[in-house]
Amino acid sequence: MFETTVINSIIALIITVVVCFLISTLLPGIERKYVHARIQQRIGPPVTSPGIMAPIKFLFKENIEPSSPVPGLYKALPVICFFVVLSILIAITPYAFAIPALSSLVAIVGLLKVEEICYVLMGSLSKSIMSVRMPFPDRVKGAAHLNTTRSFIEDISAKRSLRMITYGSFPLYLALFAPVTAARSIFLNDIVSYQQAHGPFLFTVAGGIAAIVFFIGYMIILNEYPFSIIKAKCDVIEGPYMEYASKYRSIVFITRGFLMFTLGVLFSVLFIGIPPTVFSPTILLNIVVVLIFVLMMGIFSAFTPVFTNRQLLPTILASTLLGILAIVLGLL
Amino acid sequence: MEEKVPRSNIIETEIPLGTVHPAALEPYRVRLFVEDEIVQEAEITIGVNHRGIERIMEGLPVEKANSLTEKICGICSNSHIWNSCRTAEMGLGIEIPERALYIRVIMGELERLHSHFLYLAHGCETVAHETFSMRVFYLREIVMELLAMIGGNRVQYGCSVLGGVRPRCDLDEAKLQRLKEDMDKLEAGLTDFAQRFMADSILISRVTGVGALPAKQAIRLAVTGPSLRATGVARDLRTTMFEYDDFDFNVITQPDGDVKSNLLMRALESFESIKIIRQAIANIPEGKVVNRDWEMFDTDINESYIEVPRGTLYHSYALESGRVRHCIIRTPSMANIGAMQYACIGDHVTDAQLCIVQCDPCFTCTDRAIEIIRR
Repeated sequence: MFETTVINSIIALIITVVVCFLISTLLPGIERKYVHARIQQRIGPPVTSPGIMAPIKFLFKENIEPSSPVPGLYKALPVICFFVVLSILIAITPYAFAIPALSSLVAIVGLLKVEEICYVLMGSLSKSIMSVRMPFPDRVKGAAHLNTTRSFIEDISAKRSLRMITYGSFPLYLALFAPVTAARSIFLNDIVSYQQAHGPFLFTVAGGIAAIVFFIGYMIILNEYPFSIIKAKCDVIEGPYMEYASKYRSIVFITRGFLMFTLGVLFSVLFIGIPPTVFSPTILLNIVVVLIFVLMMGIFSAFTPVFTNRQLLPTILASTLLGILAIVLGLL
Repeated sequence: MEEKVPRSNIIETEIPLGTVHPAALEPYRVRLFVEDEIVQEAEITIGVNHRGIERIMEGLPVEKANSLTEKICGICSNSHIWNSCRTAEMGLGIEIPERALYIRVIMGELERLHSHFLYLAHGCETVAHETFSMRVFYLREIVMELLAMIGGNRVQYGCSVLGGVRPRCDLDEAKLQRLKEDMDKLEAGLTDFAQRFMADSILISRVTGVGALPAKQAIRLAVTGPSLRATGVARDLRTTMFEYDDFDFNVITQPDGDVKSNLLMRALESFESIKIIRQAIANIPEGKVVNRDWEMFDTDINESYIEVPRGTLYHSYALESGRVRHCIIRTPSMANIGAMQYACIGDHVTDAQLCIVQCDPCFTCTDRAIEIIRR
């Protein structure tokens, strides 16, 4: 009996993850086609292009060997990121609630931190041709400052990623812990049960504030404009992803869509109390939440320039204060 | 405004960017010397796209050489051929029909509009505001279509010839009517854009105070064109050009010399260009568009300066048996490189490209031959 239940749960989990993954591949296309392109009054790419066709195309491209001091690790990082996101999705499905070590907020925060640390590693391990390696006679007679330490642009990206780990993603983690104050438990099972008994946390004052903070954190962790300082086109270009080509770039593309979906579902678990399962019509609500997040992010990013420290620090500070307020209100 | 000085005399870290970089639409190398991501000094180097056009022009018949100057720039192509023809016309004393002068002014101002719109779009794109960038590109499209209507092409119009303009660039009633209607559309679109731009507090906070260039420093660096006027110095060569004698327009200036001032300056100057084009449409004289009644003779070096969208453009050459000799061309970006380097100081690395873009660089055109004098 127990074995049958476990096998059924594993099958249900696999089906849920596969369905979620397939839906997630459409999200970058929806953002670009129906939000960015619509706002900018242009046709935009086919909706399947950014999330499905582009990764497939990259799979069949010839790989360019990165110029990295540790190429094996550099190439493994997108795969690690993908599995981290996959683990988060598994952790928030109801089938994982039986494993408390996985389906707790501590585990989710830890996994998100791994994702962030991957950006630091990617940035510090990439040595692209865009800066120092460009064959250009910089240090010639008459040139300024001949004895400086030369830095790759990806190094800046790595430093910025580190900074984002230190304080940039703080609002997201505060927002994640806001429902804990209401449910008095860090386990997702308890948070979901609490909301099924008392109504969604989103519709409380603390929940409303925390939802705003979560959304800001969602954009920060997805490196979306205006928070995309680690891959700002005006200086670091693609930043940590600079040297990924062919199948590695394909994984980067897929992971981004998957992370968009997973974070949206995480919100619906923590703030509405609906875990994703394909065997319940409530998955439609999960998808609606995900789409709302994608649409809102698209609108915000279309109307904002990339932030520098001058704008970023006050925004993060304000979001952090709001997050603290949400937690305090939740405790009252 | 106080002069900017580096925070430290010891430069520890250098971040070189380019010569290939997505935010820089031109091939140039910039070395940013930074301290905690704040630029202390910048060094721009060009030279990877030298095409030797002056050398090719040497010995060519003047008509062919004039056509070749149009290939120097894809944005100011009309300005180059206009100034090149003007150089020979001044040397040979060719009288230009009034109608041709008006058409040249219309083309010049249309080119200024499309260059300024490109600047606004590029500026918005560099701060990653794609929506505003796209909106300006839509406005620019109207101008590009007008240029194609007059010149037959969107980039190389071949409008000016010795003695006037090509007959195919003459403006009939239908063309003048379309010009008039499109100027109304442009004015409405530009007004809307300027209002939205000014109302966008996030964007304004992103560009205010960035890349500030004081007027005193701009004069010291011999900055030219809109980048100079954005520092508050009212210097526009059009006020001294005989082609603009019949036109009433204001020399627009802005006080701060930062990115915001530069963007606003271009937007406001575009309104003046629309005003000039409207005056030209209303008062364009009847008559022929080209004077073929002139004689070729040898001249000493002739020089011509005109105000083009990015500043002062200089052409000079002598004529010998109808052929060009000792040709020198200096584009505005050459004078503005110093300003670009200066503008970066004290700003964040993310803003460095913006500081360079604010001076409207056109490095491909600036890659001219240089003479090294060894002492």
